[in-house]
Amino acid sequence: MSDALLLFDLLLALAVVAIAAAALLVRDAFAMIVLFVVFGLLSALAWVRLAAPDVALAEAAIGTGLTGALLLKTLHHLRARGMAGWQPGAVAQRPVPRAVAWLNAGLALAVMAGLGVAILGSPLRVTGLEIAVAEAMPLSGVENPVTAVLLNFRAYDTLMEVVVLLSAVIVVWQIERGAGPAPAPSLGPVWQGFARLTLPAAALVGVYVLWAGAEAPGGAFQGGAMLAAIGLMMLLTGLYRPHPDHRGLARLLFVLGTVAFAATALLVAGGGRASFEYPPSYAKTLILLIEALVTISIAVTLTALFHGREPVALKGDLRHDP
Amino acid sequence: MTGPDWLTLSIILPLFGAVAAFILPRAAAGLGLTTVAATTLCVLMMADQVAALGAVTVPLGGWGAPLGIELRADGLSVAMLALTGMVGLLVSVSAIDAFAGDRTARQRQYFWPLWLLLLSGLNGVYLGTDLFNLYVMIEIIALAAVGLTVLGGTREALRAGLDYVYASILGALLFLLGVGLIYLQLGRLDFAGVIAAPPSAAMTAALAVMFVGLALKTALFPLHVWLPAAHANAAAPASALLSGLVVKGALYIVLRLAGYMPALTEDILTLIGLMGAGAVIWGGIQALRAERLKLLVAWSTVAQIGLIFVALARAGERGLSDSWKAAALLILAHGIAKAAMFLAAGRIKDEIGHDRIRDLDRSPIRPTLAQVTFALAAISLIGLPPSLGFIGKWQLMEGAMMAGYWHWVAITMIGTLFSVAYFSRVLAGFLRFDRVRGGPLAEHHGWSGADAAPLILASAAVLLGLAAGPIIAFIDLGAGGAMP
Repeated sequence: MSDALLLFDLLLALAVVAIAAAALLVRDAFAMIVLFVVFGLLSALAWVRLAAPDVALAEAAIGTGLTGALLLKTLHHLRARGMAGWQPGAVAQRPVPRAVAWLNAGLALAVMAGLGVAILGSPLRVTGLEIAVAEAMPLSGVENPVTAVLLNFRAYDTLMEVVVLLSAVIVVWQIERGAGPAPAPSLGPVWQGFARLTLPAAALVGVYVLWAGAEAPGGAFQGGAMLAAIGLMMLLTGLYRPHPDHRGLARLLFVLGTVAFAATALLVAGGGRASFEYPPSYAKTLILLIEALVTISIAVTLTALFHGREPVALKGDLRHDP
Repeated sequence: MTGPDWLTLSIILPLFGAVAAFILPRAAAGLGLTTVAATTLCVLMMADQVAALGAVTVPLGGWGAPLGIELRADGLSVAMLALTGMVGLLVSVSAIDAFAGDRTARQRQYFWPLWLLLLSGLNGVYLGTDLFNLYVMIEIIALAAVGLTVLGGTREALRAGLDYVYASILGALLFLLGVGLIYLQLGRLDFAGVIAAPPSAAMTAALAVMFVGLALKTALFPLHVWLPAAHANAAAPASALLSGLVVKGALYIVLRLAGYMPALTEDILTLIGLMGAGAVIWGGIQALRAERLKLLVAWSTVAQIGLIFVALARAGERGLSDSWKAAALLILAHGIAKAAMFLAAGRIKDEIGHDRIRDLDRSPIRPTLAQVTFALAAISLIGLPPSLGFIGKWQLMEGAMMAGYWHWVAITMIGTLFSVAYFSRVLAGFLRFDRVRGGPLAEHHGWSGADAAPLILASAAVLLGLAAGPIIAFIDLGAGGAMP
């Protein structure tokens, strides 16, 4: 490694830690969110330096982009409900008993000590599953090892991660409902023009990222997050307004990926094959099909999570609407 | 593997049920009950396979561990699955009654998808053999459980749910950190690899971080603070699922890893035992002070979980298998009895109109069957013969006495005394009639078909003690050296 890159890595590592500390220490909520987003982008860069472009893409799109948007929306929500001067310190009105604070500090230190021992005591280089992955690659149906792990070797984990997302949207819909305009900052008419220009391009990029996932970094979660950005844009510019009548379709789109994934897992079994065991000759087709449907579900689910509630017409009750 | 793949089915089937109940909200109850029954049937077929073969392993995707993920069913897995199936089926039956009517239409609509997702996650944990996979499963469990906690939509439930989310996410993150650290050291995450790992300080530290995360999720003292409010403020069927089944998920992972980890030192076990002892005493004191019935039941969960950890810790390095069995029995007993007790408490609250303990004896309405159910469940939780709880405690104490650990015997006795004391507060209220106000005593008021399911559960908690021998023998199937 050249010295210039080493210097860059050191600076990057320092910056990540410094920004994280700043995000924790700053008192203003908006500044906190901005710092969080910067932190996410720098982490994505760090993942690139660690030769993990797939993780970098996910970090940038989901960990930073979507999470940042969610945090900003929450802040707007709090301010719209009369908490304009909301400060992180204002929440802790009741002073924490000193004994509890010391106990917490002690427990946190113990956990940190455990982490220290575990990290310092680990061997520097352990061969993980790289060799096993490399050996099984020809049978996986795809050329990108990350996609092979996610959709073939450990497809069961990935199915269940898709289910985690589905569970999240079900819980959110259960907790919050309302059909009025979303309490999100609405963008002016200028943005509609901007949206019309950029949406097709964003759609193209999202689909490309999904398609490229078979051979290069990319895949369902990253592609889905990019498509979800389109959904956010449409919600924010008012190009799309959720309506109670759309709920049936929305539910179908939420579950589409889960159903396709799980049904394939069961249907390929039999004749000596276990569940999730794709026949090698069809593996690529099946994987791309599952990924495409999962991408749609992820995009719609993330958009719905950003909207944050089930669109139900409530009888004269427009709570949470300013 | 021979015959159909019941293992995968018992995870995927509830998933399909959840999806169906979610997209067809009007038919949710029927779809849900059918799915739970079908899943329980899968578990019974699996039990048959395990009884014949000892342990069943399914290499998902055909890759095999450590590259792929394997599912494995042995005696303990099947016992946990059967507990989940039995409690789940009876709670489902009473949920149909509890959420009937227009006022609870929305709760009914969301209860079923969430509960079925929970079932899928729990079954996945009991069959999992891969640490990262367990993490994904406890995430599903956490989300579904939080949804169930706030199902009622009251302010208290939402507040408790928020605390629960924080605790749950923190616990899951600590678990994930531990998983990452183990991968860093071993380069693999399947149980077989973890068991074969040479003991080292780093490995112990990674497991300790995981244990703290799991302790947070299973509400081991002093990390229990989120539990009482969350379990006490949920709707009755949700409380039954949360207290009877959900905390058992993380508890099972601890039990499973403890069974495979002879590297645990005496000091660590003593520390775990001390946390358990703290839970037994603190939970007992709080249950004595609780003003509301459901809160008392929730605090008794904290105490009982502590007792299970005492069972895990008491035998030290010697005789780990005995304490392991005692802990497994106590988990089963608590799951059944606590679910029955929460359902009964919910029924009593519905009939009387409140659940203030001091006013229980003033009510002219006496929901007798629900009260009997409560008493039966209390018998098992206190540990009176012939209940399953009795056998569990007996195993615990017998082993502890043989090993000469008198302090753990003392803790168990103290816990038992506490439970007698706090349950007596409730039972005395049921039996006193001299303070009844307003109207004649209508002793037989408030029976309904809804009492059947909790009564069956409570009776099972008491009577299964008679079948403790076969149960212990079954739990032993496939345990020990037969790991892949």
